[in-house]
Amino acid sequence: MVNRLNKTALTSDEIFATGMRNQWHAVCPSDFVARGDMKKVRRLGEDWLLFRQSDGSLRMLADRCPHRGAPLSQGQHLGDRVACKYHGVQVDVGGTVVSVPGMPGCNLEGKRLVTSLPVREVAGAVLAWFGTDPDAEPGPLDLPERLVDDGISRFLCYAEWKAPWRFTLENLLDPMHGAFLHRESHSMFGGETSAKFRIRETDRGFFFEKTDQRGVNFDWVEFCRTGVDWVDLEIPYPPTAGPGGSFGIVGMGTPIDAETTAVFFWRYRRVEGWERDVWRFLYRTKLEERHWAVLEQDRVMLEAMAADADQAENLYQHDLGVIRLRRLYRSQAAAQAEALAGA
Amino acid sequence: MSLYLQPRQAGTTGPTPYELKLAGAIEEVFGTGVHHLEGLVKGLNDLGICSPTGEPWTPDTFTDEMRRMAA
Ligand code: FES
Ligand SMILES: [Fe+2]
Repeated sequence: MVNRLNKTALTSDEIFATGMRNQWHAVCPSDFVARGDMKKVRRLGEDWLLFRQSDGSLRMLADRCPHRGAPLSQGQHLGDRVACKYHGVQVDVGGTVVSVPGMPGCNLEGKRLVTSLPVREVAGAVLAWFGTDPDAEPGPLDLPERLVDDGISRFLCYAEWKAPWRFTLENLLDPMHGAFLHRESHSMFGGETSAKFRIRETDRGFFFEKTDQRGVNFDWVEFCRTGVDWVDLEIPYPPTAGPGGSFGIVGMGTPIDAETTAVFFWRYRRVEGWERDVWRFLYRTKLEERHWAVLEQDRVMLEAMAADADQAENLYQHDLGVIRLRRLYRSQAAAQAEALAGA
Repeated sequence: MSLYLQPRQAGTTGPTPYELKLAGAIEEVFGTGVHHLEGLVKGLNDLGICSPTGEPWTPDTFTDEMRRMAA
């Protein structure tokens, strides 16, 4: 997908393909951008420049020079500005042209010509507000309590999959695949291979859960919209993982473009004191590798699915969560496109 | 565009042989259903998995070591 400049023309299909606007999305792990460094990322079908100043503060700019459109990410980090490599135009961290060295006094100077997204850093990840109106204030961001609770220990696992973002979220709204796709895993070998599900509404989204089994496999998932879209789920550990009970996952999936997704999995466990330390030690030495193997099962399956796999389905009761999610995003994409067309 | 697929993200270096051996022994003891500190320390000592000084573990030396390795 090409870099896009004018978002006002986005259609409903384009929004559905490249992600919902006017909300926060996870962008990448914080440590992808060191102090005094910058990094190019593509998200929601557009190219962006992440720019970290020497005081640690992070900024996010459209990766497009306002002069002739060269990628700013190929330019030079100047502390509080970036100098485009093509003709040296300097853009500050707010997106304003501060200097046109080849033509001093040029009327580009002082103009805010580069989109700059509001960013926040949370639990080791960068989140950004992708608004349709670059001048509007970002909406509220209510963080998953799993990511801020001190009694919870967590590790972020980040990966990029060659699968549409909706497939990655639908996979999370499909707990039954645990008992099949992940049967040969350290955590999801237990439980029945048939089940009944129900949807239970909450004030921030909904639960999709088995009615007849809990705490044996991947048995429930909560989908939440709190300014950022995320899911929460829990999966039991075997006794070898020690005290603390199940581990949980807060999951997010951010479109890189229509075909590719940045997936974020915070694996967490409610443990403190020595139990926390032992879990973290086991995670680093043993568990991370096993968790990764499970994630790879998902990736291989989703990447192997046709891009239009969802055009020829025969769904059954286990797919109510998927249907619900898809409808929600379809109608939101239509509403956003309509609002943009009317703007 | 190359996609990011990095299996090891929780630590910059892989575990050392000492860490792997200790982790394996901890899992073995936990696997017997023993999940309290005294039982874990006793289980490690019974398996002959000593602390780095060569001494048997005590709850204090074990929790200190874990605190160091959890970071
Ligand atoms: S395109 Fe960037 S300075 Fe000309
Ligand atoms: Fe899965």
